[in-house]
Amino acid sequence: MEHYLVAMGVTAGIYAMMALGMNVIWGKAGLINLGLVGFFAVGAYTSGLLTLRLGWPIPLGIAAGTLVASLVGVLVAMITVRLRGDYLAIVTLGFAETMRIVMSNELWIANGTDGLSGIPGPFRQALGPHLFNLQFLGIVTAATVILFFLVERLVNSPFGRVLRGIRDDEQVVQVAGKNVVTFKIKAFAFGTAALGLAGALYGHFTSFIAPDLFAPLLTLYVKLSLLAGGLGNSIGAVVGAVLVVFFLESTRFIIPLVPGISAVQGAALRELLIAVALLVVLRFYARGLVPESIPQPPLPTAPPEAAVAIERVR
Amino acid sequence: MRKTTRRTILKTAAAAATVAALPINANAQSGEPIRIGILTPLTGAGGNDGPRMLKAMTAVFDEVNKQGGVLGRRIETVVEDDQTNPEAAVRAARKLIEVNKVPMILGTWASAVTAAVAPVCWESKTFLMTVSGADSITLLPHQGFLIRTQPTSKLQATAHGEFMLSQGAKRVGIIGIQAPFALPNKEHLENTLKPKGAEVVSHVIYEKDKPTYRSEIDQMMRGKPDYIYTNGYAPDTVVLLRDLYRAGIDMPKFAQSYAVPQATLDTIPPEVSTKVYTGQPSADIESPAYKLAADRTGDKEPDGYVSQATDWASMAVLTIAKAKEASGVAMKDNVRKICQGSGQKVYSAVEGLKVLAEGKEINYEGASGPCDFTDIGDILGCRFRYMHVVKGKLEFLKLV
Repeated sequence: MEHYLVAMGVTAGIYAMMALGMNVIWGKAGLINLGLVGFFAVGAYTSGLLTLRLGWPIPLGIAAGTLVASLVGVLVAMITVRLRGDYLAIVTLGFAETMRIVMSNELWIANGTDGLSGIPGPFRQALGPHLFNLQFLGIVTAATVILFFLVERLVNSPFGRVLRGIRDDEQVVQVAGKNVVTFKIKAFAFGTAALGLAGALYGHFTSFIAPDLFAPLLTLYVKLSLLAGGLGNSIGAVVGAVLVVFFLESTRFIIPLVPGISAVQGAALRELLIAVALLVVLRFYARGLVPESIPQPPLPTAPPEAAVAIERVR
Repeated sequence: MRKTTRRTILKTAAAAATVAALPINANAQSGEPIRIGILTPLTGAGGNDGPRMLKAMTAVFDEVNKQGGVLGRRIETVVEDDQTNPEAAVRAARKLIEVNKVPMILGTWASAVTAAVAPVCWESKTFLMTVSGADSITLLPHQGFLIRTQPTSKLQATAHGEFMLSQGAKRVGIIGIQAPFALPNKEHLENTLKPKGAEVVSHVIYEKDKPTYRSEIDQMMRGKPDYIYTNGYAPDTVVLLRDLYRAGIDMPKFAQSYAVPQATLDTIPPEVSTKVYTGQPSADIESPAYKLAADRTGDKEPDGYVSQATDWASMAVLTIAKAKEASGVAMKDNVRKICQGSGQKVYSAVEGLKVLAEGKEINYEGASGPCDFTDIGDILGCRFRYMHVVKGKLEFLKLV
């Protein structure tokens, strides 16, 4: 059981990193990016190919995966910069599907639908599966913690305030003299870097990636994490990711307890439960379990001195 | 106090009985059940085939349990849904291996899922049986922890090519889904057709989940084929057949048996499915294994997946009996001792258990074929069963 929990911990960590990255783009800047699995794929493939085909050391591969995902993020942001809301969502969704279809059909890049197998993991042979998973849990936790503080630092800085401004009213920000386009691109660059990092780590963890992995299902799970946890809140993103993985996994143990249903009905019931959970969260915790807290500007408790002085003159 | 005493006596008696019974493989079911992991797609693209495979496997295990189980222990299945998605499948496999401690996992369907689950299995010394047909699967460094009952692309495409030649095909148009078997199939078909004066005139690959394949059909028809080789799964093949009918294309069409199950045929008008031929790896025509699988599942003509699932379950039971233990390593080391060689031929798990109990060697002959495996886990060879669709019903044509 404990080995299973460790492996699920790694999955939760990877979901959390994706949720944190998404939170910058979607939660803060308000840009609905449904193509997150595409950037995840870029990170995974870049690091996988570099370490497998060119023998790069794993840390360097992961760094390259992060960087390339970020560059692709910038490119996609520049293409979609004039799109907002649903239009941006559909174009980014299209980007992720394009990535998947290109990787399926261009066999020379990474074996097409056969996928890349045997991606090295740090000390995989020496440690054996259980210690390797434990080690990876350490790596993923460390990466998530670092990413968490980076995101916190970023969103609490003036930069983060501008992103929130863009989310709430783009025109006001523009009137205030900010270059909205640059801010949007920067938000994409940072967020997609986190997605790429998560992808690269995932590839080295499971040792196998294939286009089928990068289906929209994963995007939806991460979106669900954010909605459940609380959009625009880093703690919410992490809590949501852990909750989603916990929920996905715990339903496995609950379903067999339901009497009188077949395995096929159980599988359908499991999907239904996930949908119902989302609906319940959206109905009763529309802002997530840990809602975003927006710092209020300090309100004067006593009348300002000037006003008091004027009063006295009268 | 009295209660405890009785329990103690019972326990001692049961333990003694078990010990006494062990060497002769008694019928009494005692001890912990043997847990076997089943990981089939129950939702997603494979949701059409997974449930049938699951049913076939449970039918075999039920039969064995009724006869007293194996090694005097009941067989219990732990079923997980692989969601036809590699990421979800890996999580499910980890649960089966780490929580349920299953010695083997039966049932992965999509090649990408199998390739993702396989490393998790061999790293934890868990045995995996699959229907995934991609040539690349058995080339993975699985150290023997994987076998598949699905013939390789080469075996299949060569047989299919010969079948189409026997039907007088001269110009074959291929239209199929993008999958690991797409390209190898085309190459092997070409190699089979060329020496006999026929050829592949067009090859179109389509994306799954499209509502229509009309433009792909037009693209394929540009090569002026006289025979169509479809190479997809059930959900897309039915769309393809409808579009071929709408386009007024009236020529023989070949499909894998799993792509055109009777369930699909029942949902489309009989005109749409005229001149459809299907093929599947199969045992001998008189093979009792196939008939038994048909009786057990209540399916008149079990398709390739149902037959293969039947064989996994049977081989699992027989290997455990042969090895006298249920572990992944024992499976790897002993599976070939019960399904190939010069032992007495047996056609079901129950029959095999009886022969094994007599201390004889056995050679399991399955519903999907002879079930003889190479060192890397591919089947050595098999026959192919061809069916054709007559008025919306699958009918037996021939066995080659």
